[in-house]
Amino acid sequence: MTFTLTLSFADLLLLLPEIVLTCWLCLVVIVDFAFPRLPKEQLAILSITGLLATLGCLVWFDVTHVSGALFGNMFVLDRMAIFFKIFIVGSTALVILASIQYVERFRFFRGEYYVLVVMSALGMMFMSSANDLLSLFVSLEFSTLGFYILVGYLREDLASNEAGLKFFILGVFAAGLLAYGISLVYGETGKLVFSDMNLSATPGAIIGFLLIFAALGFKIGAVPFHSWIPDTYHGAPTPVTAYLSIAPKGAAFAILLRIFFVALASFKPMWVILLVAVSILSMTYANIVAIAQRNIKRLLAYSGIAQVGNVLIGLAAGTKMGNDAIMFYLLAYLFANLGAFAVVIAVSHAIGSDDIDDYNGLGRRSPFLAFSMLVFLLSLAGVPPLAGFIGKLYIFIAAIKEGLYTLITVGLINIVISMYYYMIVVKKMYINEPTNPSPVTISGPMKAVVYVGLAGTLVIGIYPQPFIDWVVGATLMFSNLPVPSAIVTPSLPPFGG
Amino acid sequence: MGEYALLYILFAPFAGALALILVSNRQPMLVRGIAASAAFVSLVASIYLFYAYDPVKGGFQFIQKFEWSRQLGISLHLGVDGIGTPLVLASAILLFTGIFVSWHIRDRAKEFYIWLLILAAATIGVFMSLDLFFLYFFYEMSVIPMYLLLGMWGSHTKRYLEMTDTEGLKLRDSVGYIFNFGSNSKEYAAMKLVLFLSAFAVAALMGILLIYKYAGLNTFDILVLREHANLMNIPVLGTTLDKIIWVLVFFGFASIAPLWPLHSWSPVGHAAAPAATSMLHAGVLMKLGHFSIIRVAFEILPETTREMMPIAAVLCMFSIVYGGFVAFYAKDTKYVIGYSSSSHMGYVFLGMAALNYISLSGAVIYMFAHAMATGMLFAMAGWVYDQTHTRDLPSLGGLSNKMPFISGCFVVGCMASIGMPGTVNFIAEIMIIVGSWEKYPLQVIVAVLGIVLTMAYLFKMMRSLFYGPMNQQYSHAHDAVSAVDRLPLLVMIAVSVGFGIFPMHLYDVVRSGVDPLIARITHVVPVAQSGDGLGAKSEATIPVVRDHVPLVANNPVALTPDPSRGHE
Repeated sequence: MTFTLTLSFADLLLLLPEIVLTCWLCLVVIVDFAFPRLPKEQLAILSITGLLATLGCLVWFDVTHVSGALFGNMFVLDRMAIFFKIFIVGSTALVILASIQYVERFRFFRGEYYVLVVMSALGMMFMSSANDLLSLFVSLEFSTLGFYILVGYLREDLASNEAGLKFFILGVFAAGLLAYGISLVYGETGKLVFSDMNLSATPGAIIGFLLIFAALGFKIGAVPFHSWIPDTYHGAPTPVTAYLSIAPKGAAFAILLRIFFVALASFKPMWVILLVAVSILSMTYANIVAIAQRNIKRLLAYSGIAQVGNVLIGLAAGTKMGNDAIMFYLLAYLFANLGAFAVVIAVSHAIGSDDIDDYNGLGRRSPFLAFSMLVFLLSLAGVPPLAGFIGKLYIFIAAIKEGLYTLITVGLINIVISMYYYMIVVKKMYINEPTNPSPVTISGPMKAVVYVGLAGTLVIGIYPQPFIDWVVGATLMFSNLPVPSAIVTPSLPPFGG
Repeated sequence: MGEYALLYILFAPFAGALALILVSNRQPMLVRGIAASAAFVSLVASIYLFYAYDPVKGGFQFIQKFEWSRQLGISLHLGVDGIGTPLVLASAILLFTGIFVSWHIRDRAKEFYIWLLILAAATIGVFMSLDLFFLYFFYEMSVIPMYLLLGMWGSHTKRYLEMTDTEGLKLRDSVGYIFNFGSNSKEYAAMKLVLFLSAFAVAALMGILLIYKYAGLNTFDILVLREHANLMNIPVLGTTLDKIIWVLVFFGFASIAPLWPLHSWSPVGHAAAPAATSMLHAGVLMKLGHFSIIRVAFEILPETTREMMPIAAVLCMFSIVYGGFVAFYAKDTKYVIGYSSSSHMGYVFLGMAALNYISLSGAVIYMFAHAMATGMLFAMAGWVYDQTHTRDLPSLGGLSNKMPFISGCFVVGCMASIGMPGTVNFIAEIMIIVGSWEKYPLQVIVAVLGIVLTMAYLFKMMRSLFYGPMNQQYSHAHDAVSAVDRLPLLVMIAVSVGFGIFPMHLYDVVRSGVDPLIARITHVVPVAQSGDGLGAKSEATIPVVRDHVPLVANNPVALTPDPSRGHE
């Protein structure tokens, strides 16, 4: 297999966001070493500036409809890739903003923290453009590398060490599965690029794709591959948990969409069963186990698994509309989950605890934080008029058009189950009286993150049309997918006839 | 302003809630003032709506339509017909009076009013939604404010088993105890309410999604779906699809109504809620169930409704009798009123089940009338609780000396609830009973006995609250003297009695909404129309016998094709 690497300047333009971010990453490293006395907040602001510059490039690409493919189709830049890159870069910027206060807890390597976060973002940006198995493997491992370190960043904290170790061992195991799966698929088809594969259902290819799915399932935390999630989320520094719960899921879903909708499009009847099973397991298991949690980070970890189950409903629909719904849902999930974690960071900074019992009376101690948490949890639960409700409904509509009744029924029942544990937190915040009535204060950057979360959750919930237009426009290349029958306007019976 | 009336009614409370966020709790008068003025705007606009609604023209009026999502086929489509109009008015009245009833709330008053306004706005939103999505949107939106209102400002109930009657005997009505798993805390009540309503709401959502899919029109618009959706005769799981959808929608929404046996969240919720919340809960929130069934099941699945409505006719008997007996034995003022409400909602189901012009109109008027009557009772139970800090009937008594105004109003409230002539409840009850008699005589007998039962438990409660020897422990209790405290009760009494004496406009409005609905469901048009009022409509369908104008049209004739219309 040979590549003809003739890169013109116009081709490099497609890589502009990544190039900007890479340069900026180097800049942050250099500044960190060159000015050791520089307050680390400045470094955070520097990183955020770089991310915003990247975001600017991406928005410009999206508006001007820049698209293309590089390196023999290994790297594609279409509007879906741009959507996921905006998703990743935006969440990274917010996570860095939410980290500024938390970083003071680290004894060492405060500057490197920002570098690692941005580096993972870079890896995930490549992931969302990955269009073949090799670039998938490389970019996935590249992004995970940063996370391995970040999860164990609290060196004195045993829980953090355990989390890092657990994440590392299981992550490497998943990487092994991925590599094995890739080699099997390559051996069967002789192709690496998704769109070139002429698959037939040979045992090698099936096992290969199952292994690849397992590795990606590990990234998103779907149920048979979820075992690392609660402990890792619990032990990791909370901003890293927030990051881990959002950005990698977005990047992994970008790849899942490409694999299932491009490479495996003709095998839909087979993988629908797989996805339905994984989705049902994820939602039901995570929601039931979440009821028993006493720690807010673990609760959000299980809630995240359940949310992934919900997103998989859209993937199981296997239509363009399902694809749109997934992206819309992830957008709603970004704001709600990030906002919830921001509140957790703020509260744990003030009272030094992540136990749900310590949220007692938060409604009196900090009405703003309690109200924000209420909004975020209700959005995760899917209560109107918040973003999560529209997201869930969008996914259900996409799925019911494909006739996935069992899945929708399970999904609806799970809404009720999840309502219970979210309301338990609400109860502690609003109904229980505080044991310590001192007010909880919140720093400026945290407040900004919470405001962004609130704004996103409410705006998407109340006026979703621009966002729906965006995701629908971003997946136009999937227009060749089977169109749900109901979208084709049937001939109306004549009026009054 | 006229055509935007619905927007004012719906968004004034939301705007009030937004404005309240910016105000501090340290200025209680400003907080109350904002809440009251938001509710006042809503009230004035809904009074305008009620009188500007043209019953001769009928149909949906004041329509507002804004596209919300093209891809999903959702638009914010608002409009009221003769069924929605009185319920919007009732919600606005109860919101306005509820704000005055809760005037003395000290703890986190701002938050209280915010959630109360959102709750009322959400219920109002359901009553004017012509889009299935927004109907569900507002419906589900009303649940969370209830949770917070109950949890934060509610009160615990004394545990049933610890309650004794005057002879020191343990109570017999352990029914409630069993269904509540021994817990009568407000947290329990609030959580039960949320889970119960959400669980059944998702069933209704499943029904709505099935309608959306099988209609194949890529729209949630009720007006389009009822004209063009063809959901009949699709075999599924050994039955037909329309029946499955109907069952999902009916039971999904009947849980909030609350229909026996789905009622158990309701009295517990009433008991835990603060007075203004109970008023909205019993007054309008419960009517969301009936209303949504009418809007979704009756409008979109008329044939199935005719086939399946006997289910409601059976269950409503249990509602009436069970609710009545538990109310009789309950020892807690709010349980009595709560079970009485759930019993009275059985009458509405009876009126709906009989599916004729008189009974369904009666059911709609009953919803309006019950909102006023039960609103009064809850407001006064709340006042007594505020004064004595107990709702335990055996320990209360003789309060009429201390609060003559309240006890006077309470008598009126009881009379309204029983359905004395002169109140609008009487008109509603008589219409339900007369209208349903031909189809469901057994249920009508039960309903009449239910009225006797109502009289029994309300008189019993009245006696043990206001008459008999007074417990000296409560000698500090005082009457509602200030205008702020008296206003809500007087408003509700005025509405109840006013429409009881001059019901014609209310009747015309309701009939204009009920007529096309029943005509669609039963293919029967009313035989008798008075020359004025609804005459215009009947001329288009059948010749009217003008010399014979009975008050009650329960001899329908079959619809025959009108030769003058010709074929299309």
